[in-house]
Amino acid sequence: MDAGILTQQAFNALTIGAMYALIALGYTMVYGIIELINFAHGDVFMVGSFVTLWLLSTLGVNGAINDPPRLAIMLIVMFTFTMTVMGLVGVLIERFAYRPLRNAPRLAPLITAIGVSFILQNIIQVTFSNSPVNVPRVIEAQAGATVQLPQFAVADFQVTASPVTFSYTHIFIIVLAVSMMVALHLFVGRTRLGRAMRSTAIDREAAQLMGVDINTTIALTFFIGSALAGAAGVAWALNYGTTKFDIGFQAGLKSFTAAVLGGIGNTTGAALGGFLIAFIEVFSSQLGYSRWSEAIVFSILILVLVFRPTGILGQRLAERA
Amino acid sequence: MKPRPLAIFAIVALVASACSSSSGTAGAKDVKIGVDLPLSGGELPNGDPTIKGVQLAIEQNPVAGYTVTINKQDDAVNGVHNPNQGATNVQTLIGDSSVFAVVGPFNSNVAQAEIPKSNSAGLIQCSPANTNPGLTKGTTGADLRKANPTKIAYVRVATTDDIQGQAGADIAYTVAGAKSAYVVDDTETYGKGLADVFATEFAKLGGTVVGHDGVGANQQSDFTALLTAAKAKNPAYVYFGGVTATGGGLLRKQMVDGGMGSIPFGGGDGISDGSAATASSFLNVAGPQGDVNSYMTVAAIHDIPNAAKFSADYKAKYGTEPGAYSASGYACAQIYLQALAKVGNDREAIRAYVTTTANVFPTVLGNVSFDANGDTTQHIISYYKFDPTTKDWKYFQQKDFTSGVTTTAAP
Repeated sequence: MDAGILTQQAFNALTIGAMYALIALGYTMVYGIIELINFAHGDVFMVGSFVTLWLLSTLGVNGAINDPPRLAIMLIVMFTFTMTVMGLVGVLIERFAYRPLRNAPRLAPLITAIGVSFILQNIIQVTFSNSPVNVPRVIEAQAGATVQLPQFAVADFQVTASPVTFSYTHIFIIVLAVSMMVALHLFVGRTRLGRAMRSTAIDREAAQLMGVDINTTIALTFFIGSALAGAAGVAWALNYGTTKFDIGFQAGLKSFTAAVLGGIGNTTGAALGGFLIAFIEVFSSQLGYSRWSEAIVFSILILVLVFRPTGILGQRLAERA
Repeated sequence: MKPRPLAIFAIVALVASACSSSSGTAGAKDVKIGVDLPLSGGELPNGDPTIKGVQLAIEQNPVAGYTVTINKQDDAVNGVHNPNQGATNVQTLIGDSSVFAVVGPFNSNVAQAEIPKSNSAGLIQCSPANTNPGLTKGTTGADLRKANPTKIAYVRVATTDDIQGQAGADIAYTVAGAKSAYVVDDTETYGKGLADVFATEFAKLGGTVVGHDGVGANQQSDFTALLTAAKAKNPAYVYFGGVTATGGGLLRKQMVDGGMGSIPFGGGDGISDGSAATASSFLNVAGPQGDVNSYMTVAAIHDIPNAAKFSADYKAKYGTEPGAYSASGYACAQIYLQALAKVGNDREAIRAYVTTTANVFPTVLGNVSFDANGDTTQHIISYYKFDPTTKDWKYFQQKDFTSGVTTTAAP
């Protein structure tokens, strides 16, 4: 057994899981508050990566920035800008595509969401390209800390350890995503606006009667969910240095699965589901079964839903916090 | 009927043909060669130089009594070749009665969807680039043409992956000197087929395949986990069966990110899609560090009999060097034009003439004839390596796998 490789794979899984989790949060928050599967959410993430690309090319950045203070400023600018833009896009989508249908039968907003997804994809195809586009990676892609884990033997069982490389980009993405999740958790659980969100999720009419402005609250939910998807878009661009108009479909499908796996409507569940799916995928690859990884992910999803139809953690946003 | 309208028609036709820039004579019949290739998005670098080859052939080889034009169909949807779109396109071409033959498709899985249609309609297709053996050979080949088992309606001037995979293994073992290899495929008809042959042939040469994994359509952006697993097995070579759009470029790029950039990388003609300056080509996506030590094969002759003339003519018309399959597209059209001159504008007669195994067609690729399955009898593979000065693929030798192996080095 090689502990080094397993550690490396766990680290890879955390990075991918962090991105899935950030996207999954948006699915789950929106479902929690208006019971809509927002199929356009994956595309909001995709547009986020293109907003980053646009920002970098406008600022004339075309490669890694090696000066730490400048890099830090650039990262702050990238995330603030993209998250704000995507948050506003989310609010606009809610205002014009979903709010008019809020009291319509469930199927209507669902189809609208699919429509919004196509609209976003087509806008990007027309304004950028329908092929993969390279995005400059501001963090040097190959930079990282290489660590040698201790090697030991337990009786006859030899544990070797190849060196593990912790790429700075990956560390950054994991730390960022986890801090955002903690911040969201505190926001929903501890603030006045968070309480408004939770009460709207439990009973929209009652919340309204108690003086909660539900339109603002729902818009706020969309803003936060879309901003997190935007952050995932930036993380994607930083990590892969490439983006394409259809990445939202793939990533969205997995993040949606993550949200269902964890328990849709439950923010902790979404984060847990995101990491879980990433670990399943990565370790399928480690065993040499990349071609089966999706089948494995979905088999596990089906099993979980058979035994726990509400997902692993299974409550809605409101009841949990 | 009074003769007047006829006379007017004759004059109009005469004036029209005199005014048109083509060399058609009065009374020439308008016929079309259908072309079905990926002509948009990330695969434009594949389809575009190929259709330009067809266009050039039509201009340079006029057939007396006919004005030949192209009915162009794009089988890329959202920038990626699409079998359903290919099948629809072939249906469209079958419906156009002026189309007497079809050049295309480019991708094997598209061909899989198209062959049954062209076979049942009896409209001949000539692929410049399809390499999957199952399209023509064995039970799978017979299955695709079960509508008219005896009437072959699909031929190809590219040789097959059972030979291309052998060449890929030859590069890895002989040229790069690797004794172990890790194989990755994109799980598609072409990619998996090619990768499987590579693995078998590499082992036959004496090398060890340390791992073989495949990545399906929804996983083709992240290869980190697969590469971490691969790295632990210390391969001296990584071979990819697939095309750039299904992850070839990203796989190589992520090899560099994961500290595997110094391991040589090889692929088939699926990653032959232009220089590093071409947007979304393999060399462009993989990045400068990934391009170094990359090898690629093309399942067609590079060292064509009149290479200098062909490339000069192509350059004079389009201002760029020919692509990997420009000459192949040219040859397909040439074969059709020879058949048209010989047997006239009749789909069945042309199909029969092209697929008669005894007929030899002098083309830009040299003499081409087709075997009983419709495969070319020319079994030549060209070898390429990335060249840092031109930032493009550079041809270095070709091998003829027909009987034994004859190597021709680049001049």
